[in-house]
This record gives sequence, structure tokens and C-alpha cells, in this order.
Amino acid sequence: MTGDNVLSREERFLKKFSAGAEAETRKIVSALRTRLDYSREFDYFIELAETCGDAEAVSCRTGRRTVNLLCVQAPVEMVHAAGFQPFRVWSGSSAASRFSLAAAPALMCPMLKALLGSLRANEGARDGNWIIPTTCDWVIKFPEMASYECPSFLPRVFWLELPHLKDGPNGGEKWLDEIYRFKKYLESMGEKIDRHSIAESIELYREAWSALTKISRMRGCGLLANVWFALIAGTMFLDDVRKWTAAVLNVAASSTAAYRNNARVFLAGSPIVFPNFKLHLLLEETGMSVVADDLCSSERIIPGAAAFEDTSEFGLMSALAERYHRACLCPTFIDNDRRVNNILGQRAETNFSGVVFHVLKGCHPYDIEGMGLERTIKDRGLRFIRIETDYMPEDERNLSSRLEAYRCTLPTPQ
Amino acid sequence: MRLSRLRHTVQYASFLALMYGGRFGLRLGSAVPCFSCPYVPGCGGYCYLMGLQGYIGFGMSFAVAKGIGLLHALAYFTLFVVLVAVFGKLWCGWICPFGLIQDWFSSVRRFFGIRERVIPFETKQRLAYVKYGLLVYIAVIPPLATAGLIHQDFYLPFCGICPGKSILPLFAGETSYMTLNFDNAVSLGFSAALLMTTGIALVGMFFKERFFCIFCPMLALIHMLKPLTALRLIKAPSSCTGCGNCRRVCPMDIETVHREKTSRDVQSEECLDCGRCVESCPSGGALGIYFSKLKLFASSRACAAETRKIR
Repeated sequence: MTGDNVLSREERFLKKFSAGAEAETRKIVSALRTRLDYSREFDYFIELAETCGDAEAVSCRTGRRTVNLLCVQAPVEMVHAAGFQPFRVWSGSSAASRFSLAAAPALMCPMLKALLGSLRANEGARDGNWIIPTTCDWVIKFPEMASYECPSFLPRVFWLELPHLKDGPNGGEKWLDEIYRFKKYLESMGEKIDRHSIAESIELYREAWSALTKISRMRGCGLLANVWFALIAGTMFLDDVRKWTAAVLNVAASSTAAYRNNARVFLAGSPIVFPNFKLHLLLEETGMSVVADDLCSSERIIPGAAAFEDTSEFGLMSALAERYHRACLCPTFIDNDRRVNNILGQRAETNFSGVVFHVLKGCHPYDIEGMGLERTIKDRGLRFIRIETDYMPEDERNLSSRLEAYRCTLPTPQ
Repeated sequence: MRLSRLRHTVQYASFLALMYGGRFGLRLGSAVPCFSCPYVPGCGGYCYLMGLQGYIGFGMSFAVAKGIGLLHALAYFTLFVVLVAVFGKLWCGWICPFGLIQDWFSSVRRFFGIRERVIPFETKQRLAYVKYGLLVYIAVIPPLATAGLIHQDFYLPFCGICPGKSILPLFAGETSYMTLNFDNAVSLGFSAALLMTTGIALVGMFFKERFFCIFCPMLALIHMLKPLTALRLIKAPSSCTGCGNCRRVCPMDIETVHREKTSRDVQSEECLDCGRCVESCPSGGALGIYFSKLKLFASSRACAAETRKIR
């Protein structure tokens, strides 16, 4: 404070950000709670989502120190096995995105821009150790941008050097070396990771994935709205994984039909993070139901159960490494041609008739990959629409009109 | 019921039937396409490899080819082909008693958390020829013994070095094949070779899953009849996301299933039809076991989510 009643520019911004972020969360929470398909089983997830950027709250809830993970390539099982709580750092707040305007390039990925804003506003959020796989350019340069305001940020970053050629001759070996380096790093801060602890963590997250699979199938059958699925998946790392799994199974056991007769679509592309559920809600409003997706914020939040036969420590580590590398469908990989198979393969199960491809403005890897994907999808006789947007609500009407027009091209299931 | 549970049930049932079935009147003849060892007292059927070397195959080729023995041999061969045509490599992955014993060794290794040894790809490719070499050995040596060109103890040359002959009878209390036979120089040589292959097999089976299957001539023989078999491992390449689960869980470390991007038929030479790849594949319908065009079992995310716990 510069005086008793006069706020500095930074403080004014901060106040504005806090008010904006709270209003944003309140708005979406209220929208969720007033839905016709709302039930009390969702309250747990709503409450978790309300504290989605608060690592301290997660730490208190789980009784474990959090380790911040950016992107989806760092094996969460290893973090858990070392005695930490894996905490996926992201932000979907448009207020946070605005707050970082002065500190970030204009065309920066909105998700990272919002994350930068959150870090700028909340000093506590900068604490802790950061695990950052070298995925896209924005992610690589993110710590540098964060360190402009917080010089101590950069030394706390652990880089996981991601080989971008999955099926290449050395990619797997290099990645396994990285995973072993990661293990050493985690052990230097926490507990020793041995065969038993890692096996236990693998089993816990397998159960979590299995529960997620159940509600994913419910979504595919029209028994659960996509907005709930996205909310539930996005909260996976905000509480103890056992509690989260139990709550998901509770939802799986109690939910009833959410919608009928909507056009069925597949949602692909850039992540959609709470509270920015703009596209999820617009899709519903325009008469479409997302029956499957390949977003790293929901369906791909963890890559699935690690399959293995060799139960030695090496076998488990290799299984995890491969699961988080080869099975990852992130567009930053060079040989990602099988990504389209994931979409087409799910058509048989969920019978969707169109693909909505979401690109966050500035998210170049998805933008580029979307072009090839569009051609393949259309060749298969499916409808395709590309939605390029950011976190700002100003383009909602425009998007709504485009989605309505797209909806008219899709058949309505009987 | 999960596929692996079903497979284990079948494995144990066939182990009991083939190892002890003879004691209860079960006689499956001499055309069983797996290691149902005739040296096991009271076994339920005889491994076709023994017949092939001996009295219904190459061993009698000179002596009785002119007589009714040929019809006998042809009848058994036809039965063998029919059994292979119907069950394919289920004989290896689901029925073979020696396969189950190898799986027990792997279970012990897993229990102690000992790392499985991986045989480098190039070495594996070279080793693949060994089983065909053994088939040639089976085809060439017995006729020479029948013709009197070499000692008559060469009559069953593969059985003389097959670790199944020494290990399987142990389950029926028969230990005599674990000793040196001093009858003559050939017997001594064979018994020494048998002890050596047994030792190699025991160590190999402990450190490498289905180690002996890499060299098994029965696997080669069944594979040679592939065009006649109805059971197939089929891949839908357009559904595969390339996660590598199939490669990782494969007891034979087969890479073809993972790498194949165009062809549907991924039944390779080493495949045992165990179905572990299908079970662990999270892409719905990407992998399946088919009987002709009938789908018996297909991959699904729900099934992959039930990956087994560490024992």
C-alpha cells in the first residue's frame, strides 16, 4: 500500500483479479448446481474444483507435500510412491489470463497465460517443486517467463527431457533414463521408491483409471453429461486418489440418464480446464452431446493402467515409462499418426457422427495436427468443425452460431 | 471371466489330463500337438514329435513304408493336422503342460521381483532358426538309425535331448531321466546332453518367460500349418493407438503386433495365442482372437482396466 487508502497499481490489479476469479468460479459452480441432472454425488467434485489452483489446500487434504506437474508425461505413480501428492498445475481462469497480459506475449497459449497470471497473483502457488516435461515451446519457455517475477522459480524446476520420436530406435531408452533420473530426484526429496511402493501406486491409479473408464462408458451411453465427466476427471489430483476413486464409483452407481436425442460428437484438441467450461456448455446448449474425447484435461488425464508382466523394479519402471511416452497422444510428438486411430476406434463404441476440434489460440501443436486430422476425419464420412478460441467470454455468441450451424449438419440419433 | 483366468483354468485342467489322464483311462493317442510326454508314467496322450521321430513317422520310413504302417502314419498325421487346424497355437499357450511349468518358473521369478532378461532382437532372430534346425534333426537322424547307418539309440534323437523328458516325469515321481545312462556311449552322450539341456532350460525358464518355446520344434511345426488353422490373432490397425502394451506383456516379446500398421493378420511365428496382448490392449476392438470369422475375444478398455495385480 502506498498510503492508508491508496492501492498501488499492482494491488489494484490483484484485487481485480481475485474478484474476477471468484466471480468466474461462482458462475460456473452455480451453473452446475442448477442443472437438471445435478445430484449430490457431484458436490465432492465441485468443492474440489473450487480449490483447483490451491496446492496448499490439496496438501492439507491429503497430508502429503505436493509436487507440481505440468503436462501429462511425468508418471504420477512415481510421485505418489515417493510420498508426495501429484498436483497437476493448470488454469482455466480468464481473470488469471488477463492478469498476466503485461508479463506474457500476446499470442501465448491461454492455459499457460492463465497459469502465469495465477502465479503472479498468488505467491504461494510458486512454491514447491515443478516437474516440467519438454513438450511444446510454450511449456519450455514457461519457467523463464515465470522467473522474471520470481527468480527462485527456475532452480526449482526439474526438466524431464521428452524424446519426441516415440517409435524411434533410441526414444524409449532415452525416456527410461529420464524416468530413472526423475526417480533419483524424487528420492532426494522424499521416500525411497522401491518395487513395493511403486506397485502399490500403480494399483491405486489403475483403480482410479478403471473408475474413470466406468463413467466414460456412462458418458458414451448418454448416462452422464460431458460437463460432469470433465469436472470429475479434472479433479483427479486434488485429493487422495483412494477418496477420489470411491467418489467416482459413487457417481457411477447413482447417476441417471442425463440427456437424450442430442447429436453425438467427439471432442478433440487442446485441454479445457475448470472454470473455463465455455465450450462444454456451448456444445450442450446447441444440442450436441460429447460422448468421447481425447483431451489431456479429461479422458487422457492419466494415460491408463500400466500393463506389465515383469514385476521387478526395472519391469515396473519400464512399464510406467512406456505408458507415459508411447501411449501419449500429445501433438508435440513427431510420430503421432496413430492419434486419429484413437478417435476412429471410439466411433464403434460411441457411435458419434462428428468431431469438434478445439484449438486454444496460440496452441500451435494442436493447430497444426488439426489440419491432417480434419482431412482423415472427413475422408471417413464424419463431420468436422474446428473451434479456435481462448478463455475470454466475448466470442461465445459467435461460437454458438457456428456450433448451431454445425449441429444442423449432424444426424440426430433416434 | 477374464481371459487369463480362463486360460489358467484350461492350463491346469489340461495339465492334469495330459500328465495323469492315462491312470484314469484317458488315451488321446500319439498325435497330441504339445509336450504330453510319453516318458511320464500314466500320461493321457503322446507328444506328436515322438511319433514323428519314431514308429509313425520318419523312424519307420524305410522299414515299413511299403506296408500298413504307412496308413497308420498317415492317420496320425491327419489327426495331428486336424487338431492343429482346430486349436492352432492354443496347444502352446493354453494346453502344453511344459508351457505351464515354464509359467510356474516365471511366477516364482515375479514373486521375488527378479528382473526378466530380455533377449536382444537380433539374437532372437538368429535363435528362431534353432527350432527349424531341430525339425531337420528330427527328420534326418531316425531314418539313418532305421537303415542301420548309425546306432539304434539314435532312433528318438529329439527325445534324447528334450528337457521335457527329464522334467515332466518328475511330476509322476519318475526321476530316472535325471541321471546319466551308462548302457553305451550313445546313451551316455544323450543322457549327458539331456542333463545339459535340462540345466539350460531350468535356468533359462527362470530368467526368461517361455524360454524353451523359443527353441520348440512343435511351435515351428504348428506354424508351418498356419494356412490350415482357423484360430487367428487379428489386428484392426486403424484402431491401434500404439501404446505398446501388447509388446510389453507378450511372453515371447513379439514386436509385430505393436508395429503392424497395415496388415490385419498379426499371428507371427512365435505367437502362442495366449491372448495376453488382447487382454491388455485398451483400444476397443484393436486386437481380437478369431476362429475363422467368428470373434471369440476382443480388446476393450474395460478389460485393460482390470490389469492384474502384482502377485
